[in-house]
Amino acid sequence: MTLAPFFSERDMRILLVEDDPMIGDAIHGALNDAGYAADWVKNGLTALSALETQHYDLVLLDLGLPGKDGLEVLARIRANNNPVPLLIITARDSLDDRLRGLDGGADDYLLKPFDIAELLARMRAVLRRKGGTALSVLDNGVVSLDLVSKEASTLEYPGVQLSAREFALLQALLIRPGAILSRSELEDRLYGWGNEVESNAVEFLIHALRRKLGSHVIKNVRGMGWMVSKNA
Amino acid sequence: MDGFKKRLSESVQLRLSVTLSLAILIVAIVAGIFAFVSAFDEAHEMQDDTLRQVAVLFDRQHMTLKYPQGKTITGDDEESRLTIQYLADGSQASGTDDDATPLPFPTTLADGLSTLNVGGEAFRVLVRTTARGERIAVAQETGARDKDARESAWRSLLPFLVLFPVLLLVVGDLVRKLFRPIAALSREIDQRAEQELHPIDENHLPTEIRPFVVAINRLLARVASAMETQRRFVADAAHELRSPLTALSLQAERLAAADMSPEAHERLVPLRRGIERGRNLIDQLLTLAKAHSDSGAPTSSVSVHAVYRQVLEDLLPLAEIKHLDIGVESTQDVQVLINETDLLTLVKNLVDNAIRYTPSGGRIDLSVTLEHGAALLQIKDSGPGIAPEERERVFDPFYRSLGTDEAGSGLGLSIVKAIADRNGARISLGDADEALKRGLCVSVRLPMDKR
Repeated sequence: MTLAPFFSERDMRILLVEDDPMIGDAIHGALNDAGYAADWVKNGLTALSALETQHYDLVLLDLGLPGKDGLEVLARIRANNNPVPLLIITARDSLDDRLRGLDGGADDYLLKPFDIAELLARMRAVLRRKGGTALSVLDNGVVSLDLVSKEASTLEYPGVQLSAREFALLQALLIRPGAILSRSELEDRLYGWGNEVESNAVEFLIHALRRKLGSHVIKNVRGMGWMVSKNA
Repeated sequence: MDGFKKRLSESVQLRLSVTLSLAILIVAIVAGIFAFVSAFDEAHEMQDDTLRQVAVLFDRQHMTLKYPQGKTITGDDEESRLTIQYLADGSQASGTDDDATPLPFPTTLADGLSTLNVGGEAFRVLVRTTARGERIAVAQETGARDKDARESAWRSLLPFLVLFPVLLLVVGDLVRKLFRPIAALSREIDQRAEQELHPIDENHLPTEIRPFVVAINRLLARVASAMETQRRFVADAAHELRSPLTALSLQAERLAAADMSPEAHERLVPLRRGIERGRNLIDQLLTLAKAHSDSGAPTSSVSVHAVYRQVLEDLLPLAEIKHLDIGVESTQDVQVLINETDLLTLVKNLVDNAIRYTPSGGRIDLSVTLEHGAALLQIKDSGPGIAPEERERVFDPFYRSLGTDEAGSGLGLSIVKAIADRNGARISLGDADEALKRGLCVSVRLPMDKR
């Protein structure tokens, strides 16, 4: 998902807490490549003291740390009333760990192994959420939807004006690209818009959207529903 | 006979039955012979007593003898007849006939009992000297005596003849009943799956086998802990490998963003693909190790369609690259009681396989139906399918069909099998197109929630 930049990476200071030297080095390098100013510490105690002396815009926290466990570090940060956005990066993939991390006040949870692109996207999402910046454009790389002007754009068809229901349907799909929405779920979104929905309204709207924007924009998954691609 | 000997030495039950039966038989024979002989002797003794009493009666009553002349008296029977005569008359006996009186006994017989042969027949003879000085002989044919004695002896044998078969039946039945818990135990152990290493129930077992069962339970515990150690080793090893591979793939991704010659860029592609494959293999190893451990009982039921949807969301990008038409056939959803992660992993691996082995432009159908109280999940593809002779082996880790150049981990179906075993599900492989013998159809039968 590519998003319009609402902030500049240049001003962002990131604290990376990662004990594995190879992974730490790779992430640290990638953060620098992306233009962030990143500090890398290798254990929980150093991380806590760094947070006391320095302002950070975001913390990337590994859970399997020597000495002080990542979850303990997280608890201490939140106990100090430090609201810094925090993203857990870990190889622990049990549901329990994930829930404990998120309940403990983490803003997101990213499982190793991950791609740098994924990490940067999640970081941007967390920063945006925490920064309170409202999103005005939804985009999956194939189609973008301007939430203010209600115009949809693809490479071939820029600036297409949509009807209220076409807009509602495309917005529902673009909120989570890659997610399949069933007919009844899409109908619920349209009802929510305050309109009566006919039996084949969804098919009709999708047909209309495909005609306006190209047939590859909305994909049908046989027996399940419709979706827009996650990565173009 | 050799076979019987072998079985006899190996089977405690048979040995016990045979030994007990033989012991009963021998005791019965010995006791029978003894009873027979003593009853026989007893009868003879009584008959001798009769002879004696007759002699005493004759003496006490001072009877005189008059030999019968020709006429037969009713009730008289030559065979069992008692004869009394003066011993001295024996010399004037008419001949050798055993029917005539007096009988030709030698006059020299001493007082007391003796057995004599007269006219070809044996006689039991008692000689007594009366108070008046006469010597009398009381005699009876031994044939009749023996017959009576034998009859009473046989009668004494009767209880043994009845008791012997009854005892045999009782012993056989008892032994079989005693060994029934052992048979039940072996059946229970036999039906276990390889992960079921919980201890055997020692209650209701005879004290004699209990130490044996306790020893087996200890062995089971050791095997379980060894398996757990091995599983944990695989999980730990995969986990440890994950970090350097993650670092490698992150560095390769950074490298791809760096400035370099087109040639270097080109060479980076297979490098990154190789790293990706290694990462995938390690993930699958971890999943397999997890699938072999205990997941705990599922707490709530899971919608199969929801799982299908999540799997399709994850794997659609792969299917799109190959232009596969992938979809769900069934319209009715089914709820199953299973750990959600288990069902996700199972379906994901099956669909991933289908996407891998179905040629571009092919079709993959997912469906779920209710069948005989079980949920039947089917994943059909239009790929080449799996030959019947290979269908058992494809579940082995790292098994690869000949002629496939797919770079899968080789663990997908092993993971599926492990998860199915753990949840009591049955997996069968068949042809998606029965007529053309093409395409793979994987069927997973999940037992339904009993509630």
